[in-house]
Amino acid sequence: MTRSQKRKLKKTITYILLILISVVIAFPFLWLVLTALKTYPDIYAYPIKYFIFEPTSEHFEKISSMNFWSYFKNSVIVGSGTMFFSILIGLFPAYAFARYEFKWKRTLLTGVLIFQMFPQVVFLLPIFKALNATGLINTYTGLILSYLPFTTPISIVFMRTFFLSIPKSLEEAARIDGCSFGQAFRKVILPITLPGIAAVGVYAFLFSWSELLYSMSILTSKAKQTIPTFLQLFVGQYQTRWGPLFAGSILATLPPLIIFMILQKFFIAGLVSGSVKE
Amino acid sequence: MVLPYVILTVLLFVFLLGSNLFNSFTDKNGNLTLQNYIDNFTDPVVGRTLLNTIVWVVGSVSGQLLLGLFVALLLNESTKGQIIFRSIILILPWAVLDIVAGVMWKWMYNDMYGVLNDVLVKMHIIRDYIPWLATENMAMLSVIIANIWKGFCLSGMFFLAGLQTIPIDLYEAAEIDGANSFKRFWKITIPQLKPVIMTTLMLTTIWTINYFPLIYTMTGGGPGYGTETIVTYIYKLGFKFMEFNKAASLSNVLFVIIFFIAFLFLRSIAREEAR
Repeated sequence: MTRSQKRKLKKTITYILLILISVVIAFPFLWLVLTALKTYPDIYAYPIKYFIFEPTSEHFEKISSMNFWSYFKNSVIVGSGTMFFSILIGLFPAYAFARYEFKWKRTLLTGVLIFQMFPQVVFLLPIFKALNATGLINTYTGLILSYLPFTTPISIVFMRTFFLSIPKSLEEAARIDGCSFGQAFRKVILPITLPGIAAVGVYAFLFSWSELLYSMSILTSKAKQTIPTFLQLFVGQYQTRWGPLFAGSILATLPPLIIFMILQKFFIAGLVSGSVKE
Repeated sequence: MVLPYVILTVLLFVFLLGSNLFNSFTDKNGNLTLQNYIDNFTDPVVGRTLLNTIVWVVGSVSGQLLLGLFVALLLNESTKGQIIFRSIILILPWAVLDIVAGVMWKWMYNDMYGVLNDVLVKMHIIRDYIPWLATENMAMLSVIIANIWKGFCLSGMFFLAGLQTIPIDLYEAAEIDGANSFKRFWKITIPQLKPVIMTTLMLTTIWTINYFPLIYTMTGGGPGYGTETIVTYIYKLGFKFMEFNKAASLSNVLFVIIFFIAFLFLRSIAREEAR
């Protein structure tokens, strides 16, 4: 075999394997979508009906009638709040970590990540008690506050790497042209780092979007609960109502899926520089 | 600018950890006691969950890292359509909500109507239907498989990015020297990727120890205590059995374990960098 033939063979094998893996990885989710479109007799059909069945939207109608969109709205509220405060709280420490030298910088940076080391379940009790004592239990504010210790460390580390990528000279040039620090920050640095900040925001949003443990413990009234708690309703100890459960699952998964796909470049950059290069 | 954040973090940290410590050393009436720790160390279930956690972590992490590395190597070779493959393989499982991943796999594992048994029998890989979640050992294997599906994408992303930083002339030089692809993989790819592998190994290990929703939705720790890990047991102790203090003391034990693991990793990473 010549070298170019060898190359070609290697490419072909690579693509065959990639297609195979894609099919295997995508199959569980595809199966979920198919199940959500089946009537109950088809869901419990034997032998299993793979692709030939009468599609139905009854499960989607069912969850709509069960106030799914109200849970959706609650998730959006909590998610937006978590996103907003994670960025706001993280922005300035991230900038300082990127630009200034100070005592214990490395230690602090590692310390920031210590929250990542705790299982969330460990902090649930103290947070629950603190919220109870301050009357913030069963409020959006309480839930958002309890998410911040987990999201801001990541947002600091991510945003720091984006700030690091901006040449310092750019900022100095703006200062020479007569911009104040605030102006330089707003007009020069923020626009460049906006994609990175957006990625951090989306990360925080999605953290709260999929979080189950805290939301089901802290939000006790039905009118305030979020999507994961809603989905949890269909999972019984003896019987699970697959149809509406999966219909809700699809609607819950679509927003993160679309956002992730659009922003994947920034996520991968942020994740990698954030965690791999320290 | 950092100072307010540091003060706030430290205060929060001290408060959370302190209140946990305090709870773990008091009984229900608020008297100081060591009983919670003694209870935990003599509780046979705790021993069982510790063992389960080790199996769960070793199984999930090795699976995720190997699959992640394999996928990253393939993606790195591909030029056309990388975004599409990346979206399906690395983004889709990541974007699926934890609880959705849990119920999705639970449905596929269903012993009567589950698609997995049907497909495997049709492909002649197995002869009889497997009761995936019904026995303790199979249930553990099943949740590990689901967790590999859910979590390998993160390792894949890290490795893919790591692979892209390896200078291409290293490979070209090796090829001229007559090293075959197998040799190039072991002599160049793996050593160059080692720092990334170490960090990924540390992060996935910690995350997997702490990962709760998948087991909670798929098996709830059962059958028996077959898939009960330390975190699911802490949750049960605290919120089902209402033994807050015992839960707090077990959390602290877990924290010490995680801290120790992280310390070992960080030390070996620092040593690697110093060389």
